[in-house]
Amino acid sequence: MQPVMMFVAVLLPVLAGVLAMLIPFSKRKYLEIFLEGMSLLDSVLVYSLLTHRPTEAFAIVRFTGDLTLSFRIDGMGMVFGALAAALWPLAMLYAFEYMRKEKHQKLFFLFYMATYGVTLGIAFAEDLVTMYFFYELLTLVTVPLVMHTLTREAILASRKYLYYSLGGAAFGFLGMIFIIVYGISPDFVLGGSLDLAAVGNRTDLLLLIYVLAFFGFGVKAAVCPFNSWLPDAGVAPTPVTALLHAVAVVKAGAFAIIRLTYYCFGTEFLRGTWAQTVVMTVTIVTIVYGCSRAVKETHIKRRLAYSTISNLSYILFGVTIMTPAGLVGALSHMIFHAVMKICSFFCAGAVIHQSGRNYVYELDGLGRRMPKVFGIFTVSAMALTGVPGLCGFISKWNLAKAAVESDNPLAFAGVGALLVSALLTAIYMFTIVLRAFFPVGEPDPEAAQDICDPNWYMLLPLFLFVLAIVGFGLYSAPIVEFFTKISQGLF
Amino acid sequence: MNESVILMFPIVLPVLFGGAILCVPRIRSRSALLCAAGAGLILTALSVLAVLLGNADTYTLFYLTKSLPVYFRLDGIGRLFAAVMALVWLLGGVYSFSYMKHEKEEKRYFGFYLIVYGIILALAFSGNIITFYLFYELMTLFSVPLVLHKGTREAVMAGLKYLLYSLCGAYLVLFGIYFLFRFSNTLSFTWGGVLNQELIGGREPFLLFTAFLMILGFGVKAGMFPLHSWLATAHPEAPGPASAVLSGIIVKCGVLGVIRTVYYLFGAEFLRGSWVQTVWIALTLFTVFMGSMLAYREKLLKKRLAYSTVSQISYILFGLSVLDGTAMTGALLHVICHAFVKCALFLCAGAIICKTGRTRVDELKGIGKEMPVMMWCFTLCSLALIGIPPTGGFVSKWYLAVGALKSAVPVFSWLGPVVLLVSALLTAGYLLPIVSDAFFPGAEYESGSFEKKEADPYMLLPIVILTALAVAMGVLSAQIVPFLQTAAG
Repeated sequence: MQPVMMFVAVLLPVLAGVLAMLIPFSKRKYLEIFLEGMSLLDSVLVYSLLTHRPTEAFAIVRFTGDLTLSFRIDGMGMVFGALAAALWPLAMLYAFEYMRKEKHQKLFFLFYMATYGVTLGIAFAEDLVTMYFFYELLTLVTVPLVMHTLTREAILASRKYLYYSLGGAAFGFLGMIFIIVYGISPDFVLGGSLDLAAVGNRTDLLLLIYVLAFFGFGVKAAVCPFNSWLPDAGVAPTPVTALLHAVAVVKAGAFAIIRLTYYCFGTEFLRGTWAQTVVMTVTIVTIVYGCSRAVKETHIKRRLAYSTISNLSYILFGVTIMTPAGLVGALSHMIFHAVMKICSFFCAGAVIHQSGRNYVYELDGLGRRMPKVFGIFTVSAMALTGVPGLCGFISKWNLAKAAVESDNPLAFAGVGALLVSALLTAIYMFTIVLRAFFPVGEPDPEAAQDICDPNWYMLLPLFLFVLAIVGFGLYSAPIVEFFTKISQGLF
Repeated sequence: MNESVILMFPIVLPVLFGGAILCVPRIRSRSALLCAAGAGLILTALSVLAVLLGNADTYTLFYLTKSLPVYFRLDGIGRLFAAVMALVWLLGGVYSFSYMKHEKEEKRYFGFYLIVYGIILALAFSGNIITFYLFYELMTLFSVPLVLHKGTREAVMAGLKYLLYSLCGAYLVLFGIYFLFRFSNTLSFTWGGVLNQELIGGREPFLLFTAFLMILGFGVKAGMFPLHSWLATAHPEAPGPASAVLSGIIVKCGVLGVIRTVYYLFGAEFLRGSWVQTVWIALTLFTVFMGSMLAYREKLLKKRLAYSTVSQISYILFGLSVLDGTAMTGALLHVICHAFVKCALFLCAGAIICKTGRTRVDELKGIGKEMPVMMWCFTLCSLALIGIPPTGGFVSKWYLAVGALKSAVPVFSWLGPVVLLVSALLTAGYLLPIVSDAFFPGAEYESGSFEKKEADPYMLLPIVILTALAVAMGVLSAQIVPFLQTAAG
């Protein structure tokens, strides 16, 4: 395909969002059809771009020297782009139903669509500068989404989100400068682009910069201690929390760290240094910390948000192993966790939407009223804990395999952390399932009588996600093969 | 090697039936439910019989990833476990027909009962550790509804405790599997172990540590100290037949896991004489003694039986831990014997609760006059559990003791049999007073004031069959032992 199509794919959702704002649709249905059609069209475009990848890069703007904003799709970009393109149309469908009673809907959908474009921009970025540009943009377009309800809580949360993200990005910027100065080029190259001759004896300085940049981008990926914005941002409507704060935004953080580690500094340069020890320790701590907080939390969405914090660090743990196998583990968990978490979030959202209940202890016996939603939630809970046959097992297997093969004692401890976390995951997920299906004592037959499963807008995405969870769990060979090729630089 | 899909029937059939019972709204009346459940149970048992008699022994279902096949293989150990599981589970199911009349949510109970039936058979047939782990996790998840069936606060908490302890054990196992995968040629069960010396290259201490974690992990299900306490909470809370199969069969899946780990993955030679073996023996002997003591002090009948299970399963684990062929034969014999005996005892306890509502040991005075047939079975089973000749318990304990004495393990080779003996005395101490009170209630109880409350045939028949098997095992052991000896290498 023409390289310009990459730019089109990024721009199309943004334009569609603006158009939806401007066109006075006579019925809500037409708005829905327009937006759904546009996001589907864009996803089709993205997938045809991925199957027929343009070989050339596409430069949007040229600054001085070799500083450009330009797109090029490599293996990593394919993975992230494909993920976003697969989830967005489904999340749109869900959002139509969820937002039906909310105010300022057009504004909401404008930013929701714009985020799609910006996320694709991150995926397709050819170099660190472009990625940084879209990364900042992502923060800006998602803040209004967090703020949407305009309650005091929401405004505070969005402000916190903004400060954390901008602060983190500043450290990312620092890393970018150093890569430009000490690198051969700012373009992403698997194995890193550092010019070792230029580095000379400043190794420790560069390692320090790496650690700072790791934490900088790590803010979006919610590493300890920069994670408190994520549970707070859960005040946003569920389509936002599910798609952005479980998948797109936080995975953009993880994606940026993968780019930084494998494509800028290079694993050869980092492996075995103190920097690796520091970042790996942080991810291990976050894995256990996130889960423990999730166990304590009784608000469903906040509980899932803490679970996200823990699972994001699974991905980062894979990254910090700094071997090709580690990258395979990280990528598999990036994709599989996205599916599992969006599924469980959408279930939680469906419960909130149908019953207005927000807390775990209010769920007693709801499993009988909403069997489909809670059945799907149970599958996603089993997948998150890592029951074999579901996709969570595969990604944890890949992560643990990489850790064991790396012969790094700290990584062995990480395997232990994965399992401790699995146990805690079982606690915080299965207590919900048990409450829903096996309430203590006699259920009141009068209570909760009008609560039922939601309509197909919400159920269709859920069914597709659960299919994906089982499908990837039973038959993961091709996708893992693909990740392996990426990690060896064949894509 | 005979690749055949026949191996899948005993696994798929009950799961299909169970799923249908849970999901099809048309099964509404009790008779329809019992028909479906009965058909499921009988068809499954028949298909197990067909598999055991046939010559199909391997089947690869599919590949989880390129190197992780879901693979089934039927070997001696698997045949033994499958036979015991199929029989006991069937009898427990028959008993449930009558017992569950008094409980709510029968549909849910029978649905999950059947699904777990398929899963445990899959455990027996598993040909590699991944398949085993897969079904081990599923067994935990699907047996939770059986534990918390009553829906009281205590029952739900017991279910949760069961779930968390079991998962904790499963993750200890998984930790070991990750490392085994790295240091071995294959994850398929191979007698003598699968470790690859070249890959290990001096990391033996670490591998011993992972082996210990795996034993500890499977030990959770088998109620081995220090992770035994779920057993005494969960088994008494479950409905009668569920606690019977939990105590008789589910805990044996932990034993099966230990056998597979020690003899088929790491290999007995790798562990012989290591610190792992020493610690493991010490843990089992401690559990044997502790379980008996706790049972002796316990006043609730079902809880007493649960503690007794803790103790008795560690007899089996002790037999495995001395790494001796004769002791392992004894352990396998005790697997069979304990499955029959403990299942029968729990069914008796269930029948007592069902007919009289009594749960405490001191309320059972004169129960022998009210339910004579059942109490006779209880008595015979108690004798078998204590190990009085010619019952099954005698033969298995004989082999255990001989094997221990024969093995070259320092101290424990004689300490073990001593502990077993002491525990046998305690077993007599916590079971026989029940029996004597039941038949000889004392002068203050008028002998004429007892009315007959004998359980109905659905409940009585399984108890009688299990008791007969437990007693006959001692007599028939000459036929069983050669088979077990081949299975025990």
